[in-house]
Amino acid sequence: MHQAAIIGVGQSAYTRRPASGQSTHTFIRDAVVAALRDAAIDARDVQGMAVASFSLAPDTAVDLAWKLGLSLRWLLQDTNGGSSAMNMLGHALRGVESGAADIILVIGGDATGLAGYGKIAANYNIATRDHLAPLGHGGPNGVYALVASRQMRKYGLAKSDYGHIAVAQRAWAAKNPFAVYRVPLSMEEYLEAPMVADPLSRYDCVPVVAGAQAIVIARPDRAPRGRAAVCVRAHRTSFNYDNQAGDGLQTGISTFASEFWQSAGVAPRDIDVASVYDDYPSMVLAQLDDLGLIPDHDLARFCRRDIGEARRPINTWGGMLSAGQPGGPAGGLNAISEAVLQLQGRAGERQVANARLAVATGYGMTMYRYGGTAAAAILERGE
Amino acid sequence: MSAGVTVFRCKGCGIKVFPQRLLCPSCHGAEFDAAQVHEGVIEEIAVIRHMIGQENWRPRCIANVRTKDGPMLTVGLRDEAGEGATIELFEEEGAPFGRSKN
Repeated sequence: MHQAAIIGVGQSAYTRRPASGQSTHTFIRDAVVAALRDAAIDARDVQGMAVASFSLAPDTAVDLAWKLGLSLRWLLQDTNGGSSAMNMLGHALRGVESGAADIILVIGGDATGLAGYGKIAANYNIATRDHLAPLGHGGPNGVYALVASRQMRKYGLAKSDYGHIAVAQRAWAAKNPFAVYRVPLSMEEYLEAPMVADPLSRYDCVPVVAGAQAIVIARPDRAPRGRAAVCVRAHRTSFNYDNQAGDGLQTGISTFASEFWQSAGVAPRDIDVASVYDDYPSMVLAQLDDLGLIPDHDLARFCRRDIGEARRPINTWGGMLSAGQPGGPAGGLNAISEAVLQLQGRAGERQVANARLAVATGYGMTMYRYGGTAAAAILERGE
Repeated sequence: MSAGVTVFRCKGCGIKVFPQRLLCPSCHGAEFDAAQVHEGVIEEIAVIRHMIGQENWRPRCIANVRTKDGPMLTVGLRDEAGEGATIELFEEEGAPFGRSKN
């Protein structure tokens, strides 16, 4: 079996409002060009492609391959939203390991615009279309407002505890030239922001942007000269973990966390940097807790001390909350890409010193009461 | 509008689910009876003050509701019922709503 690793990453510009002539396809093109350049790979050498997007239709993956001029022997289209990136990463790694393809592009991108996003949110699945949208549920903001209320009550969280996450991530975003929101955010501004869906206010809700991300998977020795490839020590996924019968305060990560760490041969305390899918601060905490990264399950103390006092580097590109969410698939790929940059020592002003191990997650597909998909990987700088 | 919300009771094990499934999540039986739930207790409420992509939006409330012997429902609230209140449930075009009990 071959080894497989991440050898390059790239992204398009992000924008809240796409200009005339910009589309999901053009953002994806820009990300693909950037990733291939970063990996020093000729497009003619790409043998596989995975893509996830809410706004590629009516095109499918093969249409995208056609428009990118890629003739392939391995192709995947993923539909798992916020965990698509992690899901595609797993398939791509196995694709290279098995010899099915030498070099695989993994792509996410969306340019729905705000109105388009509203239509997607109201028609996300049959349950949403038939049983939530007629209530005026506000899309995922309404669903996660209810989840946040449960979490605040169960763990004794104050509104400002979520604020620590938003404020800390904005501070990271100030160092990320691709982030759409880079002006520092104070706790006062966070607390005074208008409510969107009580108890969620403006800075709790991920801003929809247009953009795309791509990463390149290949054997580690295909990494550009002088640069370490990033290997994956463990990778796990979960789908429909509880039939929507729980409270949503645990994610599917809880179903595999113990075996995940054991498989990786490392412990939560060994992690240098974390990229945690952050459509809402409440779900950042849920995933961190499932991963075992919150001591004593004390979410409030973790927010105030570990995040509020900048003891833990989490979502160091600003997360989707500040960098923007170009659809869940690309948002998840941004999390992976940031972990790669950190492990390769290429994160510029936001570089975490001596980062060797990272954990990245994905979470998504709000089926009815909360997300039904989750995934995680432990990434390591190769030698 | 019709009184109660239709949930689905597995003929094999009796578990009630909402929305409708293809197989029972507990015993994987394929046959269900329709059943009505008429009331539930509000556990959480969210005020939806903004809807992306829509102008002239009027704030409204949704609630997470625990039904007796039945599934958790997300309902639209039609009055000022608060958390902990028992509400009566009704359907409009297949979607669940609730309001204070008279």
